[in-house]
Amino acid sequence: MKTIVDDIRTRFIVEWEHQQREDLRQIGVRPGTVVPLLGWLKLHSPFVQLTHMSAVDWIEEGELQLTYLLTDPVGMRSLMVCTRIDREEATMESVHALWPQAVTYEQEINEMFGICFPGSPRQGVPFILEGWDDMPPMRRDFDTVEHVHAHHPSRPGREHTDPRAYIGRVFGERGFLHDDD
Amino acid sequence: MTTTETTTDTLRRRVQLWFGPQHPGITGNMSVQAWLEGDTLTQGITHVGYLHRGFEKLMERRKFIQSFPIVCRICVPEPDTNEYLLAAGLEELAGMTGDIPERGTWIRTLVLEMSRLQMNLMTLGGHIGSMGLGAAPNWLIAVRDYVLDRFEELTGGRIYHMYIIYGGVRRDLPEGFGERMEETLTKIEEKLPLVDNVIFDSSVFRRRTVGVGVVPEEWVDEMSLSGPIVRAMGLPRDIRKDFPYLIYPELDFEVVTTTGSDIYARAWIRRQEIQQSIDLIRQILARMPEGPYCAKLPNMLTWTIPPGQTYVRAEATRGEMGYYTVTDGSDKVRRIHVRGPSFVHGVALLERMIPGTNIADLSPLMVSLQVCPPEIER
Repeated sequence: MKTIVDDIRTRFIVEWEHQQREDLRQIGVRPGTVVPLLGWLKLHSPFVQLTHMSAVDWIEEGELQLTYLLTDPVGMRSLMVCTRIDREEATMESVHALWPQAVTYEQEINEMFGICFPGSPRQGVPFILEGWDDMPPMRRDFDTVEHVHAHHPSRPGREHTDPRAYIGRVFGERGFLHDDD
Repeated sequence: MTTTETTTDTLRRRVQLWFGPQHPGITGNMSVQAWLEGDTLTQGITHVGYLHRGFEKLMERRKFIQSFPIVCRICVPEPDTNEYLLAAGLEELAGMTGDIPERGTWIRTLVLEMSRLQMNLMTLGGHIGSMGLGAAPNWLIAVRDYVLDRFEELTGGRIYHMYIIYGGVRRDLPEGFGERMEETLTKIEEKLPLVDNVIFDSSVFRRRTVGVGVVPEEWVDEMSLSGPIVRAMGLPRDIRKDFPYLIYPELDFEVVTTTGSDIYARAWIRRQEIQQSIDLIRQILARMPEGPYCAKLPNMLTWTIPPGQTYVRAEATRGEMGYYTVTDGSDKVRRIHVRGPSFVHGVALLERMIPGTNIADLSPLMVSLQVCPPEIER
């Protein structure tokens, strides 16, 4: 695994790397490096499968992280490629030309995090949320309670118990299990 | 199935129809928007969202222990893989992987194989049920219920178990569980020759499945395919062997493969894996070590996990199931992203296979890809 990262270093700028497990290495690169790097890995390394693609909202830092998990199906190991983009202008180059199933990942990330992948075929096409008119729901500042109150009002006469208040009342501030119990 | 639009040109008639979400031939609550000319499908688009409950978002707002009742609902008939992966990812990030007691690890493996067994019984029934043949599905669902009896005895629940928790499992095996499990396995084995006769010796089943729904081998790496789809084309890929976890390296089993890559081959793989799970359960019960079944856990209401990210994977009956887990040092996850095999098999792969498929073969095709909608939309 170290060899492939050394090889990557000779061609691309790697900002950080971490060996999470024997079979899982993580590297961080700049956004502009991602697609050339993934293209190079697919063509010139054993990491030919795009197993997973995901996004993480780091709202405190004003950034969104994109994570690409590549797998070497012969060497039985994975490489996690991470990058961060600006949260307000969330745009990233698409990888659907490298792996066709990336269209679905990019469609979902577009819907859930508001990251645009120009050129990816199903951008803006609803995947799970039909008729959604709120902010992308997987962003950390999306208020689920407010959304529910605005869109799904309680049936008149129905009693509601706030779970936090209920647990606090019944079990106390720290809950009913303590380290010294 | 509802015809919603008919368009004509000078030569042919192109009909658009919705297959699902309410249709006995659809695999769960999803739908395929299909276009066909005559009996042949020319295009299909998968539509999901009917089951979306925002599981991943819910987990970001809950303590780690509160996520177990959520993840088991990500795949209704096979919840245990989700429970295991949630636990494995967070245990790794918390640095407690080495603390899991040996017996707890063996029981986890037992549960995963019981889960695989009942899921394969149901899916094999679905294979032939999707063609309108009713006897074998009824037999298979009936014997699957015997496995659910054991689950109920072990975990308290027939479908959602919430049994695997951080540090091991929630409780020990009940007294005499091994004997009762053996009785269950024997009952299943007694029924299987009949099932073989009705399914694999049936000329109807053979004619409807051999050479139908063939997945080309070059799509495997291109689309990250996994599970029985890959093994049915002769590739011995199985996470249990390739990325060993739990006690699978200590168990004696071979990856089942066949050739053909069609619906028949995928059904045959599932049939063999039923027997494989039965054998593995017997091995596990025979060699089950004594000792504690769960590590001492921190206070679940104040437990925090250092910042980190990982991806853990396991072999579900449908293929590779993975959890991408990110923590930020707080008492909740920053992000959990569930990678179900159906996310690829039920959308990109299914849509790629639909053109040229006969309309009557769409349902058997979907069953053979084992599409599970909740794991697409989570």
